[in-house]
Amino acid sequence: MSAPGQGSDGDEGGVFRRAWAILWKDLLIEGRNKQSFTAMVSFAALVLFLFTFAVGPDPELLGRLAGGLLWVGIVFTGMLSLSRTYQSEEKGGGLEGLKMYPGELRSIYLGKLAANLVLLTLVEALLFPAAAVLFQIDMWPHAPQLAAVAFLGTFGFSVVGTFYAALTVHLRARELMLPLLLFPALVPVLLGAVNATTLTLTGDPMGNFDMWFRLLVAFDVIFFVVCTWIFPILLED
Amino acid sequence: MCSRPTYRATVRRPVSGGEPAVRLEGLGKRFGYAWALRDVSLELGRGGVLTLRGPNGAGKTTLLKILAGIYRPSAGRGTVLGADLADDADRVRRLTVLLAATDFLYDELTGVENLRFASLMAGDGRGPRDWDAALERVGLTPAAHDPVRTYSTGMRKRLSLARVLLRPAGLVLLDEPYGGLDRQGAGFVDRVVEEIREEGRSVVLATHRGGEAARRADAVARLEAGRLERLEEGRR
Repeated sequence: MSAPGQGSDGDEGGVFRRAWAILWKDLLIEGRNKQSFTAMVSFAALVLFLFTFAVGPDPELLGRLAGGLLWVGIVFTGMLSLSRTYQSEEKGGGLEGLKMYPGELRSIYLGKLAANLVLLTLVEALLFPAAAVLFQIDMWPHAPQLAAVAFLGTFGFSVVGTFYAALTVHLRARELMLPLLLFPALVPVLLGAVNATTLTLTGDPMGNFDMWFRLLVAFDVIFFVVCTWIFPILLED
Repeated sequence: MCSRPTYRATVRRPVSGGEPAVRLEGLGKRFGYAWALRDVSLELGRGGVLTLRGPNGAGKTTLLKILAGIYRPSAGRGTVLGADLADDADRVRRLTVLLAATDFLYDELTGVENLRFASLMAGDGRGPRDWDAALERVGLTPAAHDPVRTYSTGMRKRLSLARVLLRPAGLVLLDEPYGGLDRQGAGFVDRVVEEIREEGRSVVLATHRGGEAARRADAVARLEAGRLERLEEGRR
């Protein structure tokens, strides 16, 4: 332990320790009040249900549209999670509460990103089987490939979404501004995820899956590096 | 523009040599076009207690947040235990601990869990025994495993104080530490300040109210509209 007056020791693993602390705290809070998770699952089920009614009972049409419908559902549901990303901090006095601790500020971003990713993944674990039933698609044979696409798509969405949620956290009209700013930035990841999912479910005679998959990987890597790097600037007063 | 006098505070019994606990030269902070703090110069030796007085909006909280490394100064220079406030905010945050007027507690977590989170974030290496000891010290052992949303205002303040006590920082910053506390609680704050001083650490305390620690500080600074209007020796 440090001597009085010397403060805490600097530590290289501190970024991950602090990110873990934020993830642990956010999931514990969510586990206790279940507000986000319940709202997300209910909303996702509702969206899928409405899509099924809107498209009609044609299994072939539903199969072709499944990728798009699923990802629109995931994005809308994810917006609920994103808008609450920094809510637990706002109640306690805002992000300043996290800024007063020593260490790199990007650990805040990494912790919040991990929390969003975990929450959205849990929702998808219920959403995909529900979609399989409603859209009358046998997803099980494609499960590993679908899981990879879902992870990359969700990661890309969370990376950009967590960043924009911090950008809009102090805005008065943040509920409106977040989707307005976020949706244009999400176009590449949505294109990649929708096409990769559709090709997985309906077959890929032209061998285009790899192209969309690589787009997802590139998007995730580039935006993860950029967002992590510039996040501390967002927290400057 | 006429130049303003520079006020300097020094402790009567310097604990050790080296850099002072706080050294500010013409420090200012601007939010947009509005100056919250302007041209503040003072020096506080190690082991000293400085009390900031002044009405709402005087700049006390802003000054404490600058000293805590949360805000970057817009003008002037300053150091905390040798760490530069403008260029070395991370080191400043390592050397200081802040009891903020807003408690930054999480209602859904228990008292112990809030301390655990604070320890993980600060990387202070504290564990369950330390958290229990800190809670015992502030008289919260019976409520240690209750959610913070069930705490009274005074209990929240005590938990915030426990969080401060966990950190071995050289400069302790207390923003309205007497707020929400009864006479017994205020006496406890005074004792904590005295203990911190005896450990050779420094304290900057902002308050509207009296209290032993405020009255018996080494120096009392009066802020008005973001300016340091007066700095006088404490009654210690």
